[in-house]
Amino acid sequence: MPLSPEEEFLNKEKERAKNNKIKNRPILVITYMMIFIYLLLFGYIIYFMQFKAESIIANSRNIRQDSFADVVERGDIITSDGVVIATSTTDEEGNTTRSYPYSNMFAHLAGYDSYGKSGLELQGNFYMLRSHINIFERIYRQLKEEKNRGDNLITTVDYKLQSTAYNALGSCNGAVVVIEPDSGRILAMVSKPDFDPNNIDGVWEYLKTEEGAESTILLNRATQGQYAPGSTFKVVTLLEYIRENPDSYLDYAYDCHGSDIYTGVNISCIGGSVHGEQTLKDSLANSCNTSFANIGSTLDFGKFRETAEELLFNSELPFDGEYAKSSFVIKASSPADQMPQTAIGQGDTKITPLHNAMLAAAIANGGVLMKPYLIQAVENDDGATIKKFSSKSYGSIMTSEEADILIDNMKAVCDYGSGARYFSGLSYDVAGKTGTAEYDDEGNCNSWFIGFSNPDNPDIVVCVIVEDYQIYGVSGAWVARQIFDAYYQ
Amino acid sequence: MINLICEVSKYLCLLFMILYTVKCFSIMSSKDEEENNSALNKQIVYVFLIHFFCFLILYLRLQQVKILVFYGIQIFVAIFYMVIFHSIYKDSSRLLTNNMAFLLLVGYIILTRLNFSLAVKQFIFATVGLFITSFIPIIIVKWKKLKDMGTLYGVVGILFLLTVFVPGLGFSNYGSRNWIHIGKLSLQPMEFVKILFVFFVACMLVKANTFKDLFVNALISAGFMGVLVLEKDLGAAVIFYITYVFLVYLATSRPIFLVGGVSLGVGAVLAAYALFKDSLFAHVMVRVEAWRDPFAHIDTGGYQVSQSLFAIGTGGYTGSGLTLGKAGTIPVSESDFIFSAICEEMGVIFGLCLILVIISIFLSFVNVAMKCRRPFYKYAAFGFATIYIVQSLLNLGGVTKFIPSTGVTLPLISYGVSSVISTLVIFTIVQGICIINNKEAVKYEKEKARIRANAAEPRRRIPQ
Repeated sequence: MPLSPEEEFLNKEKERAKNNKIKNRPILVITYMMIFIYLLLFGYIIYFMQFKAESIIANSRNIRQDSFADVVERGDIITSDGVVIATSTTDEEGNTTRSYPYSNMFAHLAGYDSYGKSGLELQGNFYMLRSHINIFERIYRQLKEEKNRGDNLITTVDYKLQSTAYNALGSCNGAVVVIEPDSGRILAMVSKPDFDPNNIDGVWEYLKTEEGAESTILLNRATQGQYAPGSTFKVVTLLEYIRENPDSYLDYAYDCHGSDIYTGVNISCIGGSVHGEQTLKDSLANSCNTSFANIGSTLDFGKFRETAEELLFNSELPFDGEYAKSSFVIKASSPADQMPQTAIGQGDTKITPLHNAMLAAAIANGGVLMKPYLIQAVENDDGATIKKFSSKSYGSIMTSEEADILIDNMKAVCDYGSGARYFSGLSYDVAGKTGTAEYDDEGNCNSWFIGFSNPDNPDIVVCVIVEDYQIYGVSGAWVARQIFDAYYQ
Repeated sequence: MINLICEVSKYLCLLFMILYTVKCFSIMSSKDEEENNSALNKQIVYVFLIHFFCFLILYLRLQQVKILVFYGIQIFVAIFYMVIFHSIYKDSSRLLTNNMAFLLLVGYIILTRLNFSLAVKQFIFATVGLFITSFIPIIIVKWKKLKDMGTLYGVVGILFLLTVFVPGLGFSNYGSRNWIHIGKLSLQPMEFVKILFVFFVACMLVKANTFKDLFVNALISAGFMGVLVLEKDLGAAVIFYITYVFLVYLATSRPIFLVGGVSLGVGAVLAAYALFKDSLFAHVMVRVEAWRDPFAHIDTGGYQVSQSLFAIGTGGYTGSGLTLGKAGTIPVSESDFIFSAICEEMGVIFGLCLILVIISIFLSFVNVAMKCRRPFYKYAAFGFATIYIVQSLLNLGGVTKFIPSTGVTLPLISYGVSSVISTLVIFTIVQGICIINNKEAVKYEKEKARIRANAAEPRRRIPQ
């Protein structure tokens, strides 16, 4: 039966609709595909905002940071035991002033916030200019045109240890670094001469004067002071000797006559002492210069440099603040007469107190260096944790066996050697190394100490340098003793 | 007090942005005409509220009377356009008109904030564009020969692309030679050629019955892309290529063309990377490096993306508020990186909503293509949908470090005379196709009704 034109039309339309549906399948496929890609983009942006943005905008190249100061009152800096060392107050006109309740005590550590920035004020700038108080208060304050309270920076520094170190150094110039060896937390960091960050205008005026221009009050000696390591470097020389003589180092023997000549260089022991028969351990304990010059004369120059560089001489330190690099100049082709001075820590070797503390910390921690750090957390004004910084391992810079041998030898220093005056007969044990480093030919010298308490399971590492020992008579070991005492009090 | 008003306005703006976005999707999913009409009217209210609050902030912060004047003129043109366009073209998609006006207004807002004279320039050209393109739907509907001019589109398209190599006429910008000067005006021929390209491919695919036809078509299309590669305009080459592959897949319905096309594209990119990374595409390599780790190259190639990420991250979900951020420090924030400027000052929430609006525009385009029964219009509508969504993806992905940045504009929002006018052309062409669809649907309904009426009284039809 032939179809009526009406039926024909409807059938044709049905057919067309069906064809169109088939034709549309590729459109659907591609549309779903594009929507899927856009969902990825959408998710990526949210992921970026949730997990990436905070650390990206903390980049010091982000010029937007300082504009936060218009709406946020800079947060406090607080020690790990809860003492506020930097705080802000805002007057009715919205002008914020920064003050430092302990003035000079935390000068280099906390830094300053005008005329540029330094210290924790620089390192933690971004965190203190962010406000994580609850959203309602934030909006409420925004509407009232009041500044929001910025987040507080919780530093690893311990008030008790810092004040002890600060007072122990007294009027001497020098630096102290205290580190927790198994975490890398810096418990104290003092540098003298210092300044009063409350009076930074005055400091800047002073720096313009002739006397001020020559002073180095803004220099953080703890991280940027490059000193000859003196006898503390004998620990490194000892390590190298053990590495080159793994089977026979215990057989080492030397007869000290007070002075000797090595490759044309006259080396004598401090204060004209004559140490007599010395084992390797005795040599370190008594800090026998002639014996160490003798050890030096046996060492391989190239390998010595390798060891020094493994210990981070001539290289960047794993530390987030400003610091100076340490230097070790001997290389395979160096003239032989450089060795005697280098082996006893004189010559051209330079080290910062921070680096020396890190070496002691790595020894104390079985050879593993933990990255030293100063900021342990960021909290909002209500005390809720916004961000936690955990300790990070830099890796092993010596084997744990080597570390154990060094600890054993450093114990001898405090048991019967040069450190016994300060550390024998206490309620706690100390392993360490004293040092006296001459910095000119006229007998002017700095006094060092590196070491740690409770050597079997070290609690704290202390590194001290006191300048001009010959004038003030304050030794590094004595300052260290005050800090250990405070810790175990 | 000013602070208070500006802060409240910022949050209201975000609120209306969310409401506007929700309406975009509710209108698309609902078939109830009356409900949709009221939703479309609400949308217009939201657009004006967003626009009003943004200009209120701009005026209060910058205290310039010219901003108020500019605001007034914008509103006048926008209302005039929306009313006139819909009353002339009753079968056009109102949602598309709303979205088009909305994107333009968002562009004006952020451009006023960034650079007042650019904003005015953009406004003038867009307004001229709106006037001229309002004639396009009628041409699409009436001019039946549109689908028979394939060769012409091809020849004119390639010749127009080649103008950038004419000495004294063409010039380079940001490492790509893809601009021409006409008097004081700088144009990107690619922006207009992409429209010709879609028409060309659509025409050829309608006529292509044999493999040989497909092959010839492919060769000529490859010619377009070859010129773009020579111009070092890689972003455009990618857009053209993807559009071509999608259209072939649509015309043949064979998945092999989609899979094969995408694989070939990826292969070509990898091969080009291996062969020319130090010569022809050195500036592309810089961008890929910058994408991998912008902060390591912050002083060189990574500068733009780093600044963009700083801006987006620092602005946060709710934004710093207009004029309170540092959006001006993002390089080319008025064109390629305008999305970062929007996110920084108007908020990432606003940016995310904007992405959803862009998706909804794509879906509107796709919807028009799906309803189309004539292959030429179907291909053309879908081609434009592809160009729109791919170009937006390249832009949005580039500034957020989702993909390497390719230097294409964000349609209708970015500053750029060629970009704005060509996008307006694309929107109005799709409107024209939409009108054809609706007219056909109406015709079909009428015919059906007539037949039903006849069927109900069959005796009348018996011939005597």
